[in-house]
Amino acid sequence: MVMVNFHHHPAEDGCAIVTFIDEILKCDSLSIVGLQKNTGKTECLKYVLARLPLEQKKVAVTSIGIDGETTDQVTRTQKPEIVLREGMYFGTSEAHYRQRRLVSELIDVSDESTSLGRVVTALALTQGKILLSGPSSTQGLRRWMRDTRRHDIDLVIIDGALSRLSLASPAVSQSMILATGAAYSINMTQLVQRTAFVVDLINIGLTRESNIALLSPLESGMWWIDSDGLLHEMQAVTSLSQQVEFNGMEQCATIYVAGALVDSFLERLRKNKHLRNVELVVRDFTKFFVSPQQLRLFEKMGGTIKVLQRSKLIAVTVNPTSPAGYVLDSEVLCDKLSQAINLPVYDLLKN
Amino acid sequence: MQLKNVIDSPCELRFMLDKLDLQSGFARRWLLDSSMMTSAAEIEASHDVTRRFVQFVNNVDRTHQTTLLFRLQGVKDIRTTIKNLRQMATLDDIELFEVKHLSILAAEVKKMLQEHGLIDAVHIPCLEDVIKILDPDGTQIASFYIYDSYCTELKDLRKRMRQQPEQQEELLVKAAEIEETVRHDLTKKLHAYVDDIEQALVALAAVDINLARARQIIDEELCLPTITNDGTSCYTAMFNPQVKDALARRGKAFQPVDICYADSPTLITGANMGGKTVVLKTLTLCQYLFQFGFGVPASAATIAIKDEIYFFIGDEQSIERGLSSFAAEMKNIDAVIKASRENRKILALIDEPARTTNPTEGTALVQALLKVLGNKQMSLVMTTHYDIEPGTAHCLRVKGFDNGSMNYSLVEVDDGEVPHEALTIAQSLGIDSEWISLAREELEKSSKEKILYK
Repeated sequence: MVMVNFHHHPAEDGCAIVTFIDEILKCDSLSIVGLQKNTGKTECLKYVLARLPLEQKKVAVTSIGIDGETTDQVTRTQKPEIVLREGMYFGTSEAHYRQRRLVSELIDVSDESTSLGRVVTALALTQGKILLSGPSSTQGLRRWMRDTRRHDIDLVIIDGALSRLSLASPAVSQSMILATGAAYSINMTQLVQRTAFVVDLINIGLTRESNIALLSPLESGMWWIDSDGLLHEMQAVTSLSQQVEFNGMEQCATIYVAGALVDSFLERLRKNKHLRNVELVVRDFTKFFVSPQQLRLFEKMGGTIKVLQRSKLIAVTVNPTSPAGYVLDSEVLCDKLSQAINLPVYDLLKN
Repeated sequence: MQLKNVIDSPCELRFMLDKLDLQSGFARRWLLDSSMMTSAAEIEASHDVTRRFVQFVNNVDRTHQTTLLFRLQGVKDIRTTIKNLRQMATLDDIELFEVKHLSILAAEVKKMLQEHGLIDAVHIPCLEDVIKILDPDGTQIASFYIYDSYCTELKDLRKRMRQQPEQQEELLVKAAEIEETVRHDLTKKLHAYVDDIEQALVALAAVDINLARARQIIDEELCLPTITNDGTSCYTAMFNPQVKDALARRGKAFQPVDICYADSPTLITGANMGGKTVVLKTLTLCQYLFQFGFGVPASAATIAIKDEIYFFIGDEQSIERGLSSFAAEMKNIDAVIKASRENRKILALIDEPARTTNPTEGTALVQALLKVLGNKQMSLVMTTHYDIEPGTAHCLRVKGFDNGSMNYSLVEVDDGEVPHEALTIAQSLGIDSEWISLAREELEKSSKEKILYK
């Protein structure tokens, strides 16, 4: 039997599960993201799927990423199939649809292609197992989510990869659950610190509406907005170049990095007296490849960091067991992490 | 000659195709694979269909049009599935879904065409029987699975699955066997309709393409040309859509051009920046658009059908082939001369031939080219800056500077003498005055020498 430890508000232990699921039901989309393989992301997904009131909501499930095998190629641990309940919609690749172990009705074949064929959408007519492998790009995922709305889906749940190999961003969903655990680090202090940093990134605020409208269509490159609100492309500057300098930088109010944000770029911005006070906009939290130190220094020197899209973080789950078998103290971990991030933390596997 | 082979012609056919608002990727692929029409009957028939769709776009309520467009967006390229069906390879659920989806879509579009009097414009086969096979419960919803109603045993197995989930794995294996037999039967039944299914897919692409053509004709103010049999082509108020767009963005208007050419050489002369190259580009573009069934950018046009179209814009250095611009050009023109000996209807449009060599030999080459091609039954439209002997070609000249601004219209002239406006134009561009005035002195010097020789 699965039990839940609720550590954020210990006094309300009894209604923890309800709160957790209720929060999800308020959203139209949720992604479940693991900070590392084996941090319990799939367990969390199973947990959520088992508890959603399907009589109230039409739910569709898909995943992002490139996983294709039933066994995790890196750690040789079993990559589990998801058990769907009767009445759930799901999006998966043609190859995995053919391997389904349930009765389902095909309702759409999309144009999104993956290495395992096109993404198809179906309705489970009995309960049963399925391997999920949905759209592999952010735009593809967005299109799939939009198309599923045609079938009156209330809630889309995304099994979200946080791998650098994946081009799809879980930040397209309205809300998020983050799975962390001993697989991410077996040093508890480090685990708490690193997780808290990711939570900080997820919680970075949105830039203003006008910037979102202006910058969202830009898929690549570096851009800047002057004090009059005019957009310019930064000529011949990549985030790896030695210096950040461009004509008109005295007028620069906002810088937008469409790709990855790295330490060296923050450092160079900081060293340019015209640019250290700008608002730096990044697409979403998955684009940050920076250290906490550099980020803090940048903000300390007067810079601001914003994103174009963000998801509301509903909760964090932990898996205290590492793939090698090392186990952290679940209760201590939940307490420490909950204090550090000021959010509910759950160990979904704890007996 | 397929559209995809010429889409990147320097006449910028791609620009027109990119602006064509097609609803499905399949229609686009189908269009790119289509062949250039060379028979009058074929072009006539294609234009008739397009005209019907122009009427539809002009007269039918927007919401009906949007519904039709939305339906067409659902068309998928299921040619692989159709091929499997033709070979009687048992279709899987995804393929059966595709066939059902297409059939329902085709029936819906057919009904819409019927309502708007377009049913005889594009023939969509009736796929009611296919729908009946794949929709045994008559839901009319384009979803699919191996329905319970195909087989009572299957129905029972699935019932037991729901009642005894612990036996599911075992029951699924049994059910899978039955499902496969059902799929096999369905494939056999559907095989009888494979031609109709394929025809429906193509017809849906045809509706999409014609609708897009019609909307382009209206939006871009194009015309569907009349076909001529006497070898002459005439355009009234011809314009280049791409240049027109670029000018409009700068708040300027494109000056349309009237032009006619026969199956004899036509020479266009005129000052630099007089739009000669744009005229050649547009003529080429129009010829392709016409023979691929599109509207052409002019207020009216009568066009002769050609078997082959050659368009050479100068400066075609072929680095890969290791040819200089002159050699590349000579090879290109050589191909035209060879083709002209083969009794095919040819349109050749050549921009300033031999421009990259010295003017003495250049003039001789151009003059001789007019003679070589002049006695063939072919249309040749050529621009040049060289002085050509009178009588070797039908000559048109860009009016040129007129009251301080460029007049792009073409006027008939008797001789091939080219205007000498290069310096005036350079001056109007604000080019270094020392350079230009020295050039004027040189000109005067050389004309005095000419007089002295005489």
